[in-house]
Amino acid sequence: MNPYKRGLALGIAAAIGAISFSACAGTPTPAATTAATSAGPVKISVVSLLPGSEQAAIDAFNAQVKEFEAANPGITIEPQEYEWKATTFAAQLAGGTLPDVFEIPFTDAKTLIQNQQIANLDAQFKTLPYADKFNENILNAGKGEDGQVYAIPAKNVYGVGLHYNRTLFAKAGLDPNTAPRTWDEIRADAKKIADAVPGVAGYMQMTQNATGGWQLVANTYAHGGRVQTANADGTFTSTLNNDGTKAALQMLKDMRWTDNSMGSNFMFDWSSINQAFAAGKVAMYTSGSDVYTSLVQTNGVKADMYGLGAMPQTDSPDAGVLTGGTMAAMMADATDAQKDAAIKWIDFFYLRKLVDPERATADAKTLSANKQPVGTPVLPMFNRAQWEQNQTWIKDYINVPLDHMTGYTDTMFDLKLVGEPSRGTQEIYKLLDTVTQTVLTKKDADIDALLTKANTQAQALLDQG
Amino acid sequence: MTTTAPDLRTGTTGTTRRVRGPKDRARDRGAVSPADWRRPGVRLGLGGSHLALLALLVVAGLGPMLMLARFAVTPTSDILMTPMAVFPNGVAWDNLDQAWNRVHIDRYFANTVLLACGSWLVQVVVATTGGYVLSVLRPAYGRALQWLVLATMFVPSVVLLVPLYLVILHPPLLGQSLLNSFWAVWLPSGASAFNVLLVTRFFDSLPREVFEAARVDGAGNVQLFTRVVLPMSRPIIGVVSVFAIIASWKDFLWPLLVLRRPEIQPLSVRLPAIAGTTDLGVLMAALAIATLIPVALFLVFQNMFLNGAGLSGAVKG
Amino acid sequence: MTTTIAPDVAPASQAEPVTASRSRSLTRWVRGGGISTLVFALPMLVIFGVFSWLPILNSVVMSFQKTNLVAAPKWVGWANFAYVLNDPLLPTAIANTLWFAVLALVIGYPLPLVVAVLMSEARRFRGLYSALAYLPVVVPPVVSVLLWKFFYDAGPTGVFNTILGWVGLGPFPWIQDADWAMPSLVLAATWAGAGGTIIIYLAALTSVPAELYEAAEIDGAGLWHKIWHVTLPQLRGVLFITLILQVIATAQVFLEPYLFTNGGPADATLTILLLIYNYAFANSLGGNYGAATALSLMLAIVLAILSIVYFRLTRSWSDS
Repeated sequence: MNPYKRGLALGIAAAIGAISFSACAGTPTPAATTAATSAGPVKISVVSLLPGSEQAAIDAFNAQVKEFEAANPGITIEPQEYEWKATTFAAQLAGGTLPDVFEIPFTDAKTLIQNQQIANLDAQFKTLPYADKFNENILNAGKGEDGQVYAIPAKNVYGVGLHYNRTLFAKAGLDPNTAPRTWDEIRADAKKIADAVPGVAGYMQMTQNATGGWQLVANTYAHGGRVQTANADGTFTSTLNNDGTKAALQMLKDMRWTDNSMGSNFMFDWSSINQAFAAGKVAMYTSGSDVYTSLVQTNGVKADMYGLGAMPQTDSPDAGVLTGGTMAAMMADATDAQKDAAIKWIDFFYLRKLVDPERATADAKTLSANKQPVGTPVLPMFNRAQWEQNQTWIKDYINVPLDHMTGYTDTMFDLKLVGEPSRGTQEIYKLLDTVTQTVLTKKDADIDALLTKANTQAQALLDQG
Repeated sequence: MTTTAPDLRTGTTGTTRRVRGPKDRARDRGAVSPADWRRPGVRLGLGGSHLALLALLVVAGLGPMLMLARFAVTPTSDILMTPMAVFPNGVAWDNLDQAWNRVHIDRYFANTVLLACGSWLVQVVVATTGGYVLSVLRPAYGRALQWLVLATMFVPSVVLLVPLYLVILHPPLLGQSLLNSFWAVWLPSGASAFNVLLVTRFFDSLPREVFEAARVDGAGNVQLFTRVVLPMSRPIIGVVSVFAIIASWKDFLWPLLVLRRPEIQPLSVRLPAIAGTTDLGVLMAALAIATLIPVALFLVFQNMFLNGAGLSGAVKG
Repeated sequence: MTTTIAPDVAPASQAEPVTASRSRSLTRWVRGGGISTLVFALPMLVIFGVFSWLPILNSVVMSFQKTNLVAAPKWVGWANFAYVLNDPLLPTAIANTLWFAVLALVIGYPLPLVVAVLMSEARRFRGLYSALAYLPVVVPPVVSVLLWKFFYDAGPTGVFNTILGWVGLGPFPWIQDADWAMPSLVLAATWAGAGGTIIIYLAALTSVPAELYEAAEIDGAGLWHKIWHVTLPQLRGVLFITLILQVIATAQVFLEPYLFTNGGPADATLTILLLIYNYAFANSLGGNYGAATALSLMLAIVLAILSIVYFRLTRSWSDS
């Protein structure tokens, strides 16, 4: 074959290669699942568990998936590991790698609705028989300006509580059944533990990835402060340099530098502080009241060592407990078939067990059979009466050490609940991360100056709209 | 630059061993002459320094690896409480089993291997065909092409980060995003001007008569490539391969950005992601498994690595 | 490493092209194998075109636009640059990056040289030295960071603190303290990277012709004299190149600050590249791609100017 013909043949071969390459390049993103017509089979991906969860937890989840698929033959569920993190969520959203039904905190819903990034689920929501029974405040977090529902409250409505290690308490000579009730008691207990058990942090707080700001705000509320006010004209004013935050930071500073009761490691976010707690390196910390579930599922915590108390409140009339929760949402381009399938899953997995005795017992039975926590304290999604009724339904399956949690459960309905700041939440939390880290790692940190500087930046954020 | 392109046809395979004669000994010296060595001051001073250096290298180079190996089979509570003690409570082989099966290190390991293979292939194809065009075929537009390719070496990789990400999301011609597919890592890895430069210079050093002889025999461009050039390029392909595989194994930021689904992530992305939620002993076992292959490859192909690393210095000059 | 120049290879730029020049007719071109040449050039053209040249051009364009991935990009002129220059974190990032670069230079530049010189004089175990020195380089960076993070535990039972405790040095805060964090990062990065530099120096050292040393000895030069007047000048080229390459690499450090401390504590390890990453990928209100590309471009321009100035300055010194 002469060179000309050979070159031509090569060119044709290359062209064919290029075309077939472009045809098979790229695997479909998981969000673009096969959405058939409304009568045909639908596959949706849903949130399963935190990455690295125990096998028993994974088995329990799969058992529930099987139950659902058996009851809904046209729908296939694809579980996807998921951890919501402020620093990675936006990239996941942009990259289309979220599961079809994903979870977001209460505070994010409004921003996502405004940016038109999540789907309108109003029609599907109204098909739920208990749609009108929701606590209005909670439901509002997921509603758009048009009053329609975009994100559905799903689970873990929590109040921030104080988690403590009963074993370490006993080692330090403290009563493991009594959680500290005031901030002074926390400080004293932390010092006792740090002295008695070297290498352990008596008290620690989250400091990274926006969780630092989250807990600092919780601490602020407990001291009677507020970090943001909504003005009548729709604008917001940032008040990071309020007395509550100052008091909270001052206490951290004292515990860190004067008492030296906070250990030597200060970079923690939500999952790493859980890990440190489970490993016995942190004796007390604040986090959502529902954290026990993941402590068991992911960190292998045993019931004996765990205790839960209420977030100590100061005398301030504004003192309150920070509350939040998780909502379920879908990407804006979800098809109707997917939405219909999703609402059925949301109903089955998240909500029905709260209102239906049979579902509640079935769910509790599956979980407890797989040794998963049943009965972790959460706040009511509907109302208190409903919640109490629910507790009686699952009474026989409750396997969490509720008697270690009385410090929290005894007062959880009495304390004032305060929602997270609603504007620019994660960005403001990140600013407060830096403030908290500075206080804990620089001996002569000037709290007032730090807060004033952060406040200026926060106000600029709020003004941006 | 005083160093000239080394003769890669024999220098890098590392398998030939000549008999060492007196000329080698003479050439094989540094600033210290044999006469210097005989002086007791030099002997003690330099010898002592060498001993100290060896000790330092063993501690610094080998120490952390040995500790990792030990931690990999130590129970977590021991790692936390008494990290320097050697198996006070027995060995926890279970860590390895858990890492492989429960944390599914095998899956991420496989992903890492797949990514390395694909990147290797793309890089070798691009470098050899590119070097062939620039060095052997020399079309009229070759000069311009070479300049364009070399220019990219002077652009810091930071500039590429965001726009490349967007190219992956909206590739030209293809309707579909390449995100979450291995192609998003394989294809951009080929754009290495360094590889092209290495291969071009190697081809430049090949004797032209061989090509001319092949032409006289009637070889076209394709045959010249497959029958003549490629067989002679084994050493340089070896060097490029070593660099490609190591670079792929170490790659972090790019796979972090474009491989977001956990099932397809390589070890370098997955390990930090699960560090916060995985038992420490199991994590150590996972880290040890992740280190195994690169270290094993290194020990086996040591000469190729070391010669290639030294070569990179010569090329950059 | 043997260095021979095949004596009958014509200098690269003067070799005869084997295909006909394209200025002749099209059929001559095709007949002469022009299509196959193009096909061979295709992988390089496509890969570089789509994944190198296009993004480089794009980055300039994007730095003048506001891009969110949903709507079409909007031209905003210099707004992105203004935003970046007014960001209170920028001076911190620049200072931190400079600090990292200086520390890395002080710790990581002379040390490999000293080690390489010693290694090149070793008469036995040369291979063992090289292997040990290069071993940390082949360890995946993620593994070394996670391992060192554990070593750096600031409690008294942390690995490094325990070892230092054996010689009476108190527990150090390592990455938990704003002042200690960056040096800790540099230490870990140097451990991982020094091996490569050592090998490069070693290769250059062993290629110094023995005759030069012999000539110096004939002139009566002592050991230090030989090192100063023969070894170092021969190394000049490699030393100069390694210096600027190291500066360029450390200016773009990302992995250590991201994995060790994510910019903390209190932004003490926030580097320019981490800031770029945060602009583009860690912003929960959506990525600010314009600001990210603007900052990358500014960094690239600074590095380019630095390189040009550097080469001008050193051209007069290194005439070898």
